[in-house]
Amino acid sequence: MDLGILSIFVEPSFYLGALRLMVPITLAAIGEIIAERSGVVNIGLEGIIMLGALSSVYVGYFTGNLYLALLAGISTGIALGILHALISIYLAGDQIVVGVGLNLFAYGIGVVTLYLTWGTFANSPIIPKGAQIPKFYGFSPFVPFTIAVGIIAWYIIERTSIGLRLKAVGENPRAADSAGINVFKIRFFATLVGSVLAALGGVFLGLDWLASYTRDISAGRGFIALAMVVFSRWNPIIAVFSGLLFGFLFAISLSIPSGIVPDQVIWSIPYIATVLVAAGFVAKTRAPAALGKPYKRE
Amino acid sequence: MSIKYWKQIVDSLLSLMAGFFVGGIIIWLAGFDPLLFYQGLLIGAFGNLYYFMTTLSYAAPLMLTGLSFAIAARASLFNVGAEGQSYLGALAAVSIGAFLTLPNLAHQLLIIVFAFVLGGLLGGLAGWLKVSRGVNEVVSTIMLNYLSLYVSNYLFTYWLYDPMRAYKTKNIETTAILPFVMPGTDLSLSLFLAVLASFFIYILLWKTPFGYEIRAVGLNPTAASYGGINVRRSMVLSMFISGGVAALAGAFEVMGRFHCMDTELTYIKGYGFDGIAVSLIGRNHPIAIIPASILFAMLKTGVQAVQRYTSVGGRTGVPLELGLAVQGVIIVFVALPSIIDMIRRMR
Amino acid sequence: MSPEQIVHMKGIRKIYPDGTIALRGVDFSVKEGEIHGLLGENGAGKTTLMNILYGLIPPTSGEIYLRGEKVEINSPREAMEMGIGMVHQHFMLIPTFSALDNIILGREPLSGPLTIDRRSARKEIEALMEETGLKVDLDALVENLPVGIQQRIEILKMLYKKAEILILDEPTAVLTPIEVRELFSFLRKMKESGKTIIFITHKLKEVKAIADRVTVLRRGEVIGVRDAKDVEIPELARMMVGRDIKMKIEKRPPSLGEEVLIVKDLWVKDDRGRDAVRGLSFSVRAGEIFGIAGVEGNGQSELVEAICGLRKVDRGSVILCGVDATSMNPIKLYSLGLGHIPEDRHKWGIILDFSVEENSIVGVHRNKKFLNSIGLMKGGEICKWADNIVKSFNVEVLSLKTPARSLSGGNQQKLIVGRELSKNPRVVIASQPTRGLDVAATEYIRDLLLRMRDEGRAILLVSADLDEVMSLSDRMAVMYEGRFTGIVDPEKVSEEQVGMMMGGISIGGSYEH
Repeated sequence: MDLGILSIFVEPSFYLGALRLMVPITLAAIGEIIAERSGVVNIGLEGIIMLGALSSVYVGYFTGNLYLALLAGISTGIALGILHALISIYLAGDQIVVGVGLNLFAYGIGVVTLYLTWGTFANSPIIPKGAQIPKFYGFSPFVPFTIAVGIIAWYIIERTSIGLRLKAVGENPRAADSAGINVFKIRFFATLVGSVLAALGGVFLGLDWLASYTRDISAGRGFIALAMVVFSRWNPIIAVFSGLLFGFLFAISLSIPSGIVPDQVIWSIPYIATVLVAAGFVAKTRAPAALGKPYKRE
Repeated sequence: MSIKYWKQIVDSLLSLMAGFFVGGIIIWLAGFDPLLFYQGLLIGAFGNLYYFMTTLSYAAPLMLTGLSFAIAARASLFNVGAEGQSYLGALAAVSIGAFLTLPNLAHQLLIIVFAFVLGGLLGGLAGWLKVSRGVNEVVSTIMLNYLSLYVSNYLFTYWLYDPMRAYKTKNIETTAILPFVMPGTDLSLSLFLAVLASFFIYILLWKTPFGYEIRAVGLNPTAASYGGINVRRSMVLSMFISGGVAALAGAFEVMGRFHCMDTELTYIKGYGFDGIAVSLIGRNHPIAIIPASILFAMLKTGVQAVQRYTSVGGRTGVPLELGLAVQGVIIVFVALPSIIDMIRRMR
Repeated sequence: MSPEQIVHMKGIRKIYPDGTIALRGVDFSVKEGEIHGLLGENGAGKTTLMNILYGLIPPTSGEIYLRGEKVEINSPREAMEMGIGMVHQHFMLIPTFSALDNIILGREPLSGPLTIDRRSARKEIEALMEETGLKVDLDALVENLPVGIQQRIEILKMLYKKAEILILDEPTAVLTPIEVRELFSFLRKMKESGKTIIFITHKLKEVKAIADRVTVLRRGEVIGVRDAKDVEIPELARMMVGRDIKMKIEKRPPSLGEEVLIVKDLWVKDDRGRDAVRGLSFSVRAGEIFGIAGVEGNGQSELVEAICGLRKVDRGSVILCGVDATSMNPIKLYSLGLGHIPEDRHKWGIILDFSVEENSIVGVHRNKKFLNSIGLMKGGEICKWADNIVKSFNVEVLSLKTPARSLSGGNQQKLIVGRELSKNPRVVIASQPTRGLDVAATEYIRDLLLRMRDEGRAILLVSADLDEVMSLSDRMAVMYEGRFTGIVDPEKVSEEQVGMMMGGISIGGSYEH
């Protein structure tokens, strides 16, 4: 029986692909959830993903060593996290403009590096096997890793004292302060964690999904992650599920054979979904009360 | 008062310098000579009349996307969607320019109106989503950028294409073009229209009650609403106008420079994002955007020229996207609260 | 300093960076196991003094002794470790947390490395609730709980953290009479178990009912310390408020017109849904200044907001110039002849980054006289308008194009007042009009108010500055818990009577001309 379009749904590779597509946006979303629950917004997620991918691909290409590549990606996340924290928390700069600048910078640097290192504007060469994240018949260990991160994040937020304080800082920093909690320290570390997770999302794109770098490697994932945070009601476990949903949509957009429906319609699906999600057509809920507002001790 | 302006100018210059400095470091790390780079930049921008005209021709779309960001910024909104809005402008220009026949003047006017409305609707949509559903306009405008790209790409590839040339739309009719100012260069009337738009936007923002309301809403929405201003309406309308102006950037490129568009829209890709930096350096002021856009146009032609200039024996030189990285740094520096204030505090 | 003094604050001075003197060398001591009332009206310094004890603000000079030992308290955390707990007027609770989580925040019991042991916390708190009689549903979200219960959570928080010295800042402001009784019986129980309680209030009856001793503060100084059973309310009232009214302002007898503002049986709710204004009725005539005095937080802000269209009226009506203006929007009220000098000028009154010129037309920016034939704003006309305001109201500014941000508070206020008056209102509501202003600006604004009154406008003056209200008003009311405790002639009323009214004793009478 000819299933036509539906034939893609019976291919196991479709589902494996969808799972892997879930990884980068979910990691970034979970990271942003942690940061936002402490009250800090990071519009530069897209840039962090790109730079995480770039640094890990660069190191991976030249060393052929997976662990060094991972280290490169994580360090990038830490550095960018510190930068964002410094500017938004310590200097009370404009969080949104910083994010926009970071995204542009990352895009530009990515292409420049692409060109200067490999002489191309399209795709870098595939990185050596040794640097790639191992897959088992299309299944990547990063998938359970991401799910684990989601569960751990949820546990920390809901069940530990650190999580309680994190939430307090994001809802009412003054009350947290008067309870003896160090608002700045918590926000700083939350931002750092968020940045590292986003960078890991980029690392996955660079070391697994494409196993190379290209200028459009992120393709808006950072912004999709931002929308996912809202959709998931700032809950890391729901973020995993919404990541699966988006992974699924991405997979569809990649797998549907051309010609039946115009490609462009298919490609648009994740982005339309994001707008709908952000507009709350699917779920409407409350953000942490102190989100985006710098805290000043009087 | 003039002290305030000086402070802003110096701040902008400092941000620019910081950006160029970091750019210089990147160039140096890549194995090129930064001084050579900057020299090449200046020559490439102004070296001869041809270069100069080309630089000016790039200033037009940058000015318009810069204005677009500035208008929304005055209402405290971040329209990052100039990119997508400019695509719709190009769409309008090609569809009406190549597939309708109209007398001169009427043809261009119709394109301008149609482009403005299309871009305006896209921007207005983001604005409406913000005031009614609380959707962050950065997220929504970026998503709409992608949508706009796909829609335009689709229409260009399947409906508006030129069967004779690969990946290009049909040429627009001669009645729809903006004439060149100097034959042999790319500089068309678009520059003058862009400058006109800058003055028009300036008047709109500072000399009309409508613009007054937009600025009040951007600075203190509570006091504005207490003074009887409809805050939501001002926000949506400012996004509408912002989108419309951005669309003109795309339309004028079709009408003035290319007379067609390539189906992948690479001809106008990037102007939207460049506009953000232009506007930030110009402190979101329409008149300051004029020199700011020329500055960034310099960056563009300069980098192009340097690429040729630094290619020696087959090895091509510094890529264009370096300009984007430099811009990114500039924007991050602009994000910092006044650099002058920070230096003062550190003393 | 006797050994039974658990808290002794010596020579506490607090001067703010802008020069305001909040405390002028205060000596304050509390005996262990007593309930000590700290009494005073607005600006007396009571909250400031306790904030210093709790480590929220540093004193400019002075010493603190706890149980005989000199200590330095640099943060609330340190205060808590020393056994001091404080419940503020504005609660420090996380609305989206449960009561339990709010109580344990900052001192969470752990089972294992990081996991919160909610079970043992619950047991401990339940025992505490049994002991104290303060029952709370531990799993309810704070945002869903009524204010009285929220206060219990704040108190449980203190006790959970093992506070021995309990400071409560105006705790009865948010309670119903029944809840007040419950609170008092709880406080007595605490005293029996050996806790020391400091109770900040302006309410005379209460302090007499619950305190063992009372310290009265006025304008940052201690006026006296008394044993509660030995002192009578009138004496406390005098101490709280008494002064020679220094500023005797010359004013003509009012020439009265008709009633331009009539408030009938007005009920307004506050942000928490409680009744802030309870059935208030009064009227203001053209040519008079009607002042409303009273400690802040007794419904004055809500009253003003309701009249000016910024807050919904629950019940009752507001009649402006003969028209029913209840819950009308601000623009319509303007056209009826209302002018408002807002309490928070930076929020409502002025756009800091606009120039003086641009600020002068807020609200009238669409007026035809400022537009030319094609709809553009006529710079010249606007300039004239702004210039007129600046000159008439003595706004000190170098150029009309200066941003309002660089004006001093006084000049900003003059600008706002000038703008409002240029709309030629028949009724002016002035809310805290001289707050934060320097002496010269304050004098100017007060003269202005008198001028407006002589021009035949009706002025409603709401101010926390008792002197101001008493010297400017032709008639004065004191607001307490949403009602008037009396309407009097400020020139004839005694200090004692005023103090009593502010402290909640109604002396009745409604003074009309």
